Amino acid sequence: MTETSLYVIQQLINGLTIGSTYALIAIGYTMVYGIIGMINFAHGEIYMIGSYISFIVIAGLLGMGFISLPVILIVALIVAVVIASTYGWTIERVAYRPLRGSNRLIPLISAIGMSIFLQNYVALSQSSRDVALPPQITGGWTFGDPSVFEVSFSYMQLLIWSATLLVMVLLTLFISRSRMGRACRACSEDLGMTNLLGIDTNRIIALTFIVGAALAAIAGLLLGLYYGVVNPYIGFIAGLKAFTAAVLGGIGSIPGAMLGGLILGVTEAMTSAFFPSEYKDVVSFGLLVLILLFRPSGILGKPEVEKV
Amino acid sequence: MKRFNKKLLTLSSAICLAGAINAAQADTIKIAIAGPVTGPVAQYGDMQKIGALMAIEQINKAGGINGDTLEGVIYDDACDPKQAVAVANKIVNDDIQHVIGHLCSSSTEPASDIYEEEGVLMITAASTSPTITEKGYQTIFRTIGLDSMQGPFAARYVVNTIKPKNMAIIHDKQQYGEGLATAVKNVVEEAGIKPVMFEGVTAGDKDFSALIAKLKRNNVDFVYYGGYHPELGLILRQSREKGFTAKFMGPEGVGNADISKIAGEASEGLLVTLPQSFDQDPANQALVAAFKEKNEDPTGPFVFPAYSAVQVMTESMKATGKSDPEALAAHLRSTSFDTTTGKLEFDAKGDLKDFSFVVYDWHADGTKSPAK
Amino acid sequence: MMRKRFYNAIFASGIGFILTCMMVGISLNTEGTTLKVEGASAAQWTWIGIGISLVFLSQLFAGQVDAFLGAVPKPQLSKLLPEEGKRAMLKPWLLAALLVVMLVWPFMVSRGSVDLATLTLIYIMLGLGLNIVVGLAGLLDLGFVAFYAVGAYTYALLSQYFGMSFWACLPLSAGLAALFGFLLGFPVLRLRGDYLAIVTLGFGEIIRILLNNWTSVTGGPSGISGIAKPSLFGLEFTRRAKEEGATTFHEFFGIDYSSSYKVIFLYLIAVILVCFVIYVINRLMRMPIGRAWEALREDEIACRSLGLNRTMIKLSAFTIGASTAGFAGAFFSARQGFISPESFIFIESAIILAIVVLGGMGSQVGVILAAIVMTILPELAREFSEYRMLLFGLLMVVMMRWRPEGLVPMKRPHLELKT
Repeated sequence: MTETSLYVIQQLINGLTIGSTYALIAIGYTMVYGIIGMINFAHGEIYMIGSYISFIVIAGLLGMGFISLPVILIVALIVAVVIASTYGWTIERVAYRPLRGSNRLIPLISAIGMSIFLQNYVALSQSSRDVALPPQITGGWTFGDPSVFEVSFSYMQLLIWSATLLVMVLLTLFISRSRMGRACRACSEDLGMTNLLGIDTNRIIALTFIVGAALAAIAGLLLGLYYGVVNPYIGFIAGLKAFTAAVLGGIGSIPGAMLGGLILGVTEAMTSAFFPSEYKDVVSFGLLVLILLFRPSGILGKPEVEKV
Repeated sequence: MKRFNKKLLTLSSAICLAGAINAAQADTIKIAIAGPVTGPVAQYGDMQKIGALMAIEQINKAGGINGDTLEGVIYDDACDPKQAVAVANKIVNDDIQHVIGHLCSSSTEPASDIYEEEGVLMITAASTSPTITEKGYQTIFRTIGLDSMQGPFAARYVVNTIKPKNMAIIHDKQQYGEGLATAVKNVVEEAGIKPVMFEGVTAGDKDFSALIAKLKRNNVDFVYYGGYHPELGLILRQSREKGFTAKFMGPEGVGNADISKIAGEASEGLLVTLPQSFDQDPANQALVAAFKEKNEDPTGPFVFPAYSAVQVMTESMKATGKSDPEALAAHLRSTSFDTTTGKLEFDAKGDLKDFSFVVYDWHADGTKSPAK
Repeated sequence: MMRKRFYNAIFASGIGFILTCMMVGISLNTEGTTLKVEGASAAQWTWIGIGISLVFLSQLFAGQVDAFLGAVPKPQLSKLLPEEGKRAMLKPWLLAALLVVMLVWPFMVSRGSVDLATLTLIYIMLGLGLNIVVGLAGLLDLGFVAFYAVGAYTYALLSQYFGMSFWACLPLSAGLAALFGFLLGFPVLRLRGDYLAIVTLGFGEIIRILLNNWTSVTGGPSGISGIAKPSLFGLEFTRRAKEEGATTFHEFFGIDYSSSYKVIFLYLIAVILVCFVIYVINRLMRMPIGRAWEALREDEIACRSLGLNRTMIKLSAFTIGASTAGFAGAFFSARQGFISPESFIFIESAIILAIVVLGGMGSQVGVILAAIVMTILPELAREFSEYRMLLFGLLMVVMMRWRPEGLVPMKRPHLELKT
């Protein structure tokens, strides 16, 4: 293979890795938007909290002398998911539920306030410094001719890909097969009607927040392991990117969030690969504008039907 | 606003007079410490704060300024230029005439404008942008080296010692990082080394895999990074994971024990230009112990410059017997001071005449040793 | 009943415990280069305990607390105002009195307060501008800060490169910002609701990144410093005149130099600008275009069926809103004397949006009140130092819960027929 094609493959791997984590976070945005039509700006902070919790658990277990990595990771995953979901649920309960039915901008502002609050809450309780974890999963494969260009694909990247894929499959099954999933779909079709049919919509909304938070916590654990660093401000940027991904794919659509995340990740990597990387964000936002111009409701979004 | 205008008095009689007044009544002289208490750079603000507060405490313990005691007042600008202006106005408003700060150059610039207008004495211990003192200010000083000193210093080391084949210069698109990176670029280009890459990354980013693949493709064997430790730490860590083994070099913004926490083994062999590490200086061990006793970390790059900023300010107060900023400014320019950061002398612009840097080899356990 | 409440209280405190035990109760710490966890100090656990028992008690006695709060009468702003007819008579007097107070006030108070008032006036201008887009026309704009940046950089660059004065640049800044609003508005008007929001957000980021990257012109991250302050008919407010032969304000009037003149002068300019903006927007709201904005917000389809040109209406809202931000931007760079891209980040847009929403979306008085609240609060909270932003975020949530309709809900200007 030529040098350029190997280089492109390497950048594609990098882009897909970061794209899958965008996708995991984007699902939280898309599910909440699909059901109650609000942008949950505090969602990125849940991802950040998930990252912190998994760091605490991993560092704690390592400190106590556990050495079996799979056990540590599974415990960290469970604890992070439980606590992040509790945060997701509480935020919905405290900051959004009392505002339901008012103008749609009201919960948006409440969410921005919540996001500022959570950032500072973590900065105060855990200090605003970067906290770093030594690499836990190391190694990987390399291929290609070392004298031309060597492509590397690490175990950690494989873990991120497969975890994202697994979570997506499970979520799709949950949404399409289970009773709760059916209720979720019904809510996103027509919230009022679903309520009339005897489904407790408050519960379904709470459930979406919990599921979204759980996925964000998984992303928090995976990215925490991948980069090895957390600070209280990572949630904001990640949230912004994930939200862009959700809109790109068509907000409200779960496969759309997945696709949007991957496209955004690959675009970023390719821009950095062939242009100065400071223009990475300009290109990804530019792409978003361009796609929305030709498909005003995103790639997989349903066109809005105008009702009189 | 209190303004003493006793130009007729000679220096010595001023001291006697002030001493006589002060013996009669002990005042408190307030010193504002302006920097970020909240926000992402709060940890750097903390370095400045503990350094300055420690100096105030020590000076008070030693009897204060001719009987007067010092009091540190903390102001938070969150490193936001808009808030820095508000803070500066508030300091003027609170009738405080001595400021240690601000921290970020982008906050110091608009704030120093106000201090100069109001005749408030400001000494920054952390803002390294050359433009701050270029406007011919009278009452603005700093106790730290400039980017325009550090960049060329690093570049000369690269040209004379490293002699890289394919050099890349990366920066974080912020005032500090880009300023340094540009200074390095200019000097190495004059010496005939053409960097193969000169590129910015986004501060706060976590993923540098695309950048590293690009560095690898260009066969880069030496990277100069202008910026702070969080990004460089991640670049080092991810480079090791991807098998990219070039040598890295960074400014004092990366020379912080945190970089080893982030990068682990990958931080071994990193080159860092730093001011001499004042906390290693045998003369400062008593102070280091005092910091440790209060459970504070004296190793940050701005701790001792902040300490010496308070020192030069109070030394001048003692010498002139006044707290009038203009008299202090004149005194600051006229003599040299023995401080915890060495012998300091200010030039007409208010910068240090000489601020020496050293190239260190960084080690994976967060320690450093002078590079060969 | 009591039992149910008891379970509720247990549940709530359990949740409270889960939320706090990991984040507050345990902290991550590094020793050397290894990561360690540390339990919090006993004092911190006591605080957690107090917090959780407060949650428990408040849930247990939720009924009583609600009854108590219900007994406290909610402030009824409308009752405080006099009758409609009287109001019409009083209004000009009140406005005149307010104006006099605004003009005299800065001479009585300290410099810090005047400066803070100037900052508040900038936010009032921004809030009024965004109010046209969000409150009146109902277009959610999350990138308003882009136009603010365009205005600020226009003045800064023109003053830097061509030495143009503040007064000449003011209309240019507004005009250029309006042009940007027009250019952005053109393609994005096909989008609805939240798609518009994200595109404007993206646009705001693009402008900021471009300003940051275009180092040769904008100075990149170092920004532009030494921007000239406004002058009064050529009289400068500096201690010494910058150019030979020029006179400064205090020399011209033969008074002693005091730097507070400059601060007060800036404040007065801001007052004039705000009055101008309020006047123009008030006129516009009564014109057909203003009515059309609101009609479009209420029902887009009905508007189209009535033959209103949707694109023109949206574009005009965008353009006029943007030009107001341009005004504010030019004034901001004059006040700061130094600007850099970090003054124009997303959170700034969010705060302006919060001002509009808190104000009551569409109501000018509300926006003014909200801008005052949102700029004064963080300053008042300075006492709390590191808890400042925490409280600010919490207050945003609480205020939305307390008055979801905004401080002063919008009332459209209307006439009533007396029967």
